[in-house]
Amino acid sequence: MSRGAETMRRSALFALALALAGCGKLDQEAMVLTVEPGWAAEIAAGGKDGFASPDGLHWAGGTLYVADEGGSAVRAWKPGTRPALLAGSEAGLASPEDLVRDSAGNLYFTDDTRGGLWRTDGAGRTTALVEPGRGLPSTEGLGLSPSGDLVVGDAPGHRVLKVTRDGSVSVLLGPERRIAKPESFAFDDAGNLYIADNRDNVLYRLTTNGALHRTIADRPGFSPESLLFAGGALFITDSDNGKLFRYTPDDGLTVVAIFGGTLANVQGVAADEKGALYISVQSDLKGRKGYILKLSRKDPSNRAHDRQAVGRALAPAPRRLGANLKEKAQRREGTT
Amino acid sequence: MDLIVRLSDWLYLLCNGLAGRSWLVDTLISLPLDNALVKAGPVGACFVYAWWSGGGEADTRHRRSILLVTVASLLFVLAATKTIADGHFQPRPFVHAQQAWHLEDGKLIETEKLAYRESLNGGVSNRYRALKRGEIERNDLGSFPSDHAGFFVALSLGIFLASRRAGAVALAWTGIAILLPRIVTGMHSPLDIAAGAGIGAAVLLAVQLVARRARSWALDPLAGWTLRHEGLAAALVFFVAFESTNVLTNVRDLAGTGEEIVSHVAGR
Repeated sequence: MSRGAETMRRSALFALALALAGCGKLDQEAMVLTVEPGWAAEIAAGGKDGFASPDGLHWAGGTLYVADEGGSAVRAWKPGTRPALLAGSEAGLASPEDLVRDSAGNLYFTDDTRGGLWRTDGAGRTTALVEPGRGLPSTEGLGLSPSGDLVVGDAPGHRVLKVTRDGSVSVLLGPERRIAKPESFAFDDAGNLYIADNRDNVLYRLTTNGALHRTIADRPGFSPESLLFAGGALFITDSDNGKLFRYTPDDGLTVVAIFGGTLANVQGVAADEKGALYISVQSDLKGRKGYILKLSRKDPSNRAHDRQAVGRALAPAPRRLGANLKEKAQRREGTT
Repeated sequence: MDLIVRLSDWLYLLCNGLAGRSWLVDTLISLPLDNALVKAGPVGACFVYAWWSGGGEADTRHRRSILLVTVASLLFVLAATKTIADGHFQPRPFVHAQQAWHLEDGKLIETEKLAYRESLNGGVSNRYRALKRGEIERNDLGSFPSDHAGFFVALSLGIFLASRRAGAVALAWTGIAILLPRIVTGMHSPLDIAAGAGIGAAVLLAVQLVARRARSWALDPLAGWTLRHEGLAAALVFFVAFESTNVLTNVRDLAGTGEEIVSHVAGR
């Protein structure tokens, strides 16, 4: 080897060692950055707690119901305990996507691989409320309307369907409404239905009189994944951009938190009685790795178990307080 | 390792301490970050100088061989920095200055904030303000390793191997005008820069070493071709100099568009 080549080889090795030394320094694989002040973040549960790669979340009665997509299972989890398996692959689940629970204790969920609409009753029996063969080869978002009917997102058919508790299916919004992928739903206090389309990156609002509005569209850096209406605001996860947004008609769209690294793929969102937010993260769906994060207010005064306290906990800092007062005044005057 | 991290943080704080004191200084420091001509124009000019400044035909042929391999190595450098960046997450210093939690041993730990002085002018200042509103792209949160450091160190070192004079200017410009402002403005930590530079240098030298084996049957004929077809060679050099000003962004965009076209044609 010539002198020049030897020098080059040694230099390359030195440079590589320098670069590797830099790589070895890294002890941060992910981060949560709270843009809105006052939030604290923690890992509520992960792989060691029995979750694989969770997607849809629903909180009811002190229990978090989890559509564990990576684990092909639906689980019920009371914080501090091991999750209970409600339905798994033996019941025919492949990729449970979204879920809701009715007041009778029935849990409904969609499956974007198997399709159909599924129900696990209070006794733990899992059955298909709507068989996949009835035109539902892949189901996405799921919502429970104030009247008790279910709304189901049919991605291949670009439709939003209404399903009654006895399994009757009708089309609520057909493909002519051009919703590309109805990924998630949330009803607000007035009964308006918000629809997340994470293929065309649009947030729709279907009013109670049937008018469909493109509430947020053509906005760079916005792709709605899951929706939750809580405390007078719509919370929106965005897996493409690793963000949690808050939306109100008064304040518009604001960023609550940013998720980076292996925590960036945020999926479902739910809120408990104290106003803490649970967010599912699919770090590696194929590798069955994920987390459930908890964002809670640092202020301990928001600990009461009443509806107003949830609103206070989930409201942004002082600016939101003003908006709340304005809304209350408008409600009193009947002008909303 | 802690010592290296502490040294990196100390250097960062020292450099970032220059920011936010003078609008004029901040504007000048930000100029190479915001203006591609100022950033990479001189490096591109050094490349062109090295290409044409050979003393004779044999020397020119030798220089052009090195420069051609250097251009090829840049693709490997960017692939290497991107691969490492995908596997490791390290927030930018100005991101590190926000309230945040990081994942450590399966737990989220509140991150100790890094001090940050905001520049009074320039694109980074705008990005920092956008971050405060949450308007930051997902792939803009992390900064390790610096792809700019990898790219420009590799390019400048390649120029240096071909022409000591032009290479010295390119390396000096890379260090002072391209990389140092990235630390001063909190875009990168010194460790990001060192790792990027190390990857750039290692990949360039490794590719040069391997390419030496192909000198007789590939490089020499190729360099000879550029001598026989100076017009076409000049066009090639133009493309290289042009793309070096934006870290092959257009090439990467073009590759993305090509992928979309293939998917569209294939009906996927």
